[in-house]
Amino acid sequence: MEPARKPTHSKEQRVTPPERKHAKKIKKPAFSKKLKESFSGYLFMSPTIFTIGVFIVIPIIYALFLSFNDVQLLGGTSYQFVGLENYTRFADDKRAIIALKNTAEYVLIVVPIQTFLALLLAAALNSNIKGKNIFRIIFFLPTVTSSAVLTLIFMWMYYPDGLINQFLSFLHLPTYDWLSNPEIALKSIMIMNIWATAPFFMVIYLAAMQDISDSIYEAATIDGANWWQKFIFITVPILKPVTFFVVVMGVIGTFQLFDQSYIFSGGSGGPNNSTLTIVLLIYQYAFRSLDMGYASALAVALAVLIMVVTIIQKKFFGEEKLHD
Amino acid sequence: MNFKKWLVYLGVFSVLLGTVLTGCSNGASSSNDDSGDSSEEVTLQMSGWGSTPIEEELLNETLAAFEEEHPNINVEFDVIADQYMDVLKTRLIGGQAADVFFLDALEAPALMSKGVLEPLDKYVTDEFDIEDFQDPLLNAFKHDGKYYGFPKDFSTLALFYNEKAFKEAGLEGPPESWKELREYAEKLTVDKNGDGDPEQYGLGISKELARQFFKLKPYGAQLTNEEGKATFATDSAVQALTPLVEMYQDDKTAALPSDVGADWGGDMLGTGKAAMVVEGNWTIPFLENNFKDLNYNTAQLPTLNGKKATAAFTVAYVMNKQSEKKEAAWELISFLTGKEGMKIWTSKGLALPTRESVAKELGFADSKLRAPFVEGASYAQPWQAGKHLPIIMNNFNNQFISALLGEQSLKEALEQAQKTANDEIEASN
Repeated sequence: MEPARKPTHSKEQRVTPPERKHAKKIKKPAFSKKLKESFSGYLFMSPTIFTIGVFIVIPIIYALFLSFNDVQLLGGTSYQFVGLENYTRFADDKRAIIALKNTAEYVLIVVPIQTFLALLLAAALNSNIKGKNIFRIIFFLPTVTSSAVLTLIFMWMYYPDGLINQFLSFLHLPTYDWLSNPEIALKSIMIMNIWATAPFFMVIYLAAMQDISDSIYEAATIDGANWWQKFIFITVPILKPVTFFVVVMGVIGTFQLFDQSYIFSGGSGGPNNSTLTIVLLIYQYAFRSLDMGYASALAVALAVLIMVVTIIQKKFFGEEKLHD
Repeated sequence: MNFKKWLVYLGVFSVLLGTVLTGCSNGASSSNDDSGDSSEEVTLQMSGWGSTPIEEELLNETLAAFEEEHPNINVEFDVIADQYMDVLKTRLIGGQAADVFFLDALEAPALMSKGVLEPLDKYVTDEFDIEDFQDPLLNAFKHDGKYYGFPKDFSTLALFYNEKAFKEAGLEGPPESWKELREYAEKLTVDKNGDGDPEQYGLGISKELARQFFKLKPYGAQLTNEEGKATFATDSAVQALTPLVEMYQDDKTAALPSDVGADWGGDMLGTGKAAMVVEGNWTIPFLENNFKDLNYNTAQLPTLNGKKATAAFTVAYVMNKQSEKKEAAWELISFLTGKEGMKIWTSKGLALPTRESVAKELGFADSKLRAPFVEGASYAQPWQAGKHLPIIMNNFNNQFISALLGEQSLKEALEQAQKTANDEIEASN
């Protein structure tokens, strides 16, 4: 857009200098043209602006409003301003603390593993192994499958005499009660989620790897670097901005864990609150207890938490741009 | 290239068109009232949860009988497949709830106190004969002296036992007390290959509060106080629940359905994974349909601390206060909970009739398998305890399982559950 506009603008200026009155006259059409242009721009964007406004911006503002109110919904809607009461309630809410702990544990375990696994898979598929296209498709399949379906299939496999335990006992390894042992239940979800999301990030890594110029590798080969050195000193540093993206998206996604633990526990977050995550807790307060004010406060707190974590990561990864 | 682009546009366009069209058709069907020339045709919406095909068939039969009697009223039954109360409450808030819907006794106190249900007293006629209902079940839907619903049916818990397994273990007749049951369970636990993983457990148990709460009363423990707060972290409650935990942990004669890859108790009994289970009368048709050759019998639950105890689960039809078709809605409720409708609905014994006259007429008290359930009704404790029971139940279930697994003592688990539940109740007020 800009390069096309610049010449016309300078042309006008070249014509106008002699008289100031003229300048005013000519500026007017330029202004209206700008208006027209921006109007048509907004017109093109209007469906998106409308959808985002109605389904994202207004709900965000409304949630902020709700988080400062005590909301009664059933049997006549009423709002009562309570200030920060909903926010100070976290401290006494044991379940909120458990949910935060579970979620943090989940993020800390899942994000590094899935990022590492994605990088490894991408590196493997980026090399010239036979049938890599088929592997790409196979690896990507879990990501395409709906997470509800995945969860149900995994639950079948996790049953005490399901596939996984049968396999473990076949290998004479200890079997576990994957679904109803509070120690294990969250880890079952972790395994499933790593398996399902690592391939998605693998594709992102793979795309970035194919952008790395061969000449760099050739130069390294001439210098006598082996495969491992090339990976560590060339591939990984060049992929740093992508890693930043993968980690940030991973953290946001894992902080928002809901559907898997909802299906696993039938909405309760059990056994013994072990699969209770923040979003599941928000759901329970919002739709089971109909405590919209407190649920909104939790949601706002989660958003702030994710933002803070993202900013910390940005500092950690340095101020690098994604597109170079 | 151009053709591809064109295809993409076509795809996007058809998706958009599709959304618009489905949006339209939804709007059309909801306003489609089919108001013909005949005297005011009314379409009633009714919501309930999904159940077995047999039950669905019976309900359809009952509704057909109603529509025959009231040709101007059509009933649309809509099944809420999952998280019934969450969906129902959301619909009530949005003004989209059905005119008539199912309500479990457990959830009734919370909804009745919120004023979203229509009190039914003014509709009741002499002909409806309110005296005919069994009192404890009727009172489950009474709030501030008003009736908000009438129980459509009820179920109690009884002991199901595998007669063949009993014979093999040299046992005769059902256990009389829980102490005896424990000894029975020991004899009934069979581990043929000796891998420490019995093929047949003595007792199939369930970890939910709904299946445990009735054990508290015989020991003098209480689930909740008058305010509806949890009060079960007492020594007497520990005493009441300890036998089950010990059977599971120490004796290893009891198993959860998930331990043996079953969905619930009926499944455990049918597949022979458990020789005894404590289940409701809904198990009888399940076993008849899926395990025809199973040789089983039922008995009243063994006594606890020398006292008889069992649980009763009941569900009522209630009316939405916002309904615009209240007269017709009452016609429906009074038919379904009336003598005629209830007789059709309970004829197969899936659930037991809450009206004494219907129970007498159907003769369940004389049926070998169903008599223990009917007898249990006289001393059963309804599954209801104030308006915070859902919170209490959630916390109990969460903690009790960890006590069963031995991660904490039963006493600790109960204290933890009670504290968390009461904190949550207080914060929500």
